[in-house]
Amino acid sequence: MKELADKLAAYLRVKLAAPDLTVHDLARIPGGASRETYRFRARHVVGGKKLDRGLILRRDPVASLIETERTTEYRAYDAFHKLGLPVPEPIALELGSAALERPFFIMAEVENCAPGSIMNTEPYGEHRQKVGEQFYTVLGKIAAADPGAIGLGDFEGAKNVNHAAMHEVARWEKVIDEDEREPQPIVRAALRWLKRNPPPPAQKISVVHGDYRTGNFLIDDGGTIRAVLDWEMSHLGDPLEDLGWAIDPLWAGADPARPGGMIPRADAIRTWEEASGLKADHKALHWWEIFASLKGTAIWISAALEYADGRNIDPINAFSGWYCLSVHNKVLAERLAAEVGA
Amino acid sequence: MKPEVGTILGLTVQKLAMGIGDEGAPFAQGTVGLLASVLTLSAKEYERGADIRFTENREIRALFAELAPSVVDVTLREDLLAASVASDPSLRISDLNEGNYALRRLLTRLQIYAEEHGALEAQKRIWAVLKALAQRRLVQLGP
Repeated sequence: MKELADKLAAYLRVKLAAPDLTVHDLARIPGGASRETYRFRARHVVGGKKLDRGLILRRDPVASLIETERTTEYRAYDAFHKLGLPVPEPIALELGSAALERPFFIMAEVENCAPGSIMNTEPYGEHRQKVGEQFYTVLGKIAAADPGAIGLGDFEGAKNVNHAAMHEVARWEKVIDEDEREPQPIVRAALRWLKRNPPPPAQKISVVHGDYRTGNFLIDDGGTIRAVLDWEMSHLGDPLEDLGWAIDPLWAGADPARPGGMIPRADAIRTWEEASGLKADHKALHWWEIFASLKGTAIWISAALEYADGRNIDPINAFSGWYCLSVHNKVLAERLAAEVGA
Repeated sequence: MKPEVGTILGLTVQKLAMGIGDEGAPFAQGTVGLLASVLTLSAKEYERGADIRFTENREIRALFAELAPSVVDVTLREDLLAASVASDPSLRISDLNEGNYALRRLLTRLQIYAEEHGALEAQKRIWAVLKALAQRRLVQLGP
């Protein structure tokens, strides 16, 4: 850890033009399975004043749960931080391997906050109403943003409202085709259903966060959302994709009527509609909810393979490939069986 | 389910041998918690793994026997009938898995056939089996 701290300090001295900068308290923290996440403090003097700032390092792992593009994640942080949403301030992006062996980026630490756990049936306790209202309002604002106006118009994804749904189906079918190691009849049936029953065209093309859910944002002691994290799967697409993912039953799903352990489903949808200026058409949202569980299975199948192959033996991959996959298989089976009256 | 229990136990030993405390207390805490979870799941799988697979294979074979007579496609019908009277060579997980994977592939062929021919009752029966399969394989951390 000291070697990493020394290299990090050397990098930041140059990057921030701070020759006296020192790195302290560097420690790895849990924070997403697709990047190694470290917390540290950077101390240096600026204009005679001592600065002591908490920062977060996100470094590419040797192998990750889903192959993601760190430039995409960094640019999303930058764009939505500037838009005034609760997103940490990005500090530096390094695509080379010279400084810390692998590409990485650094952002401000949002201190004295914690995420909710997807395994907790009441992740927000007395703050669930307040958290839920903010959660869906922020998501609505992400949906409302014009990708071109915030500099993300070139993001990967669908550029045409008619293609958004099938673009995403193709993306995740490819992952399943490549990583599936045992036959998945429910997953295959879900893919066929999604293709046979396309949703209406998207109302607009938005930046889709890609993993907007309980567990991926930080709240303070008063229940205020301070940071939306994990933008590595962000892309262009139908904003209903994020809403469908946010209300998926996997996330603190003990009570399906209160997705994510927050506000009632109807209130969640209404809050999102008000903030986004869009409509959550029932048929379209139903399609995106089934898609969300399908996308989940693709991610968990991929995680299980990385673990079983020994490429990334972080136990989060074993847990995801086992627990999360079993939940999403059950959700898909129940929803698709209902489609034929079974 | 992938990875299997044997893989999880082997890689857990490897992870422990690497020294999970070396990366700092917060991350080590999280890793220990996850290891505890996957070991808990492994313990449950040790108890029920063979039964899950044995029951699933039996139910899929029974479904094939029930639906095969109504299948017009000769190749598919013969494959269904052959699978319906087959049996697992032992109760070893690897043997049960091998049979299970073949049955699952054939189940998907049957489901596609039912969808393409608008055979709604057959689709309902298939989904009933798939729902039961998913429920049986659902893993829970609690007692």
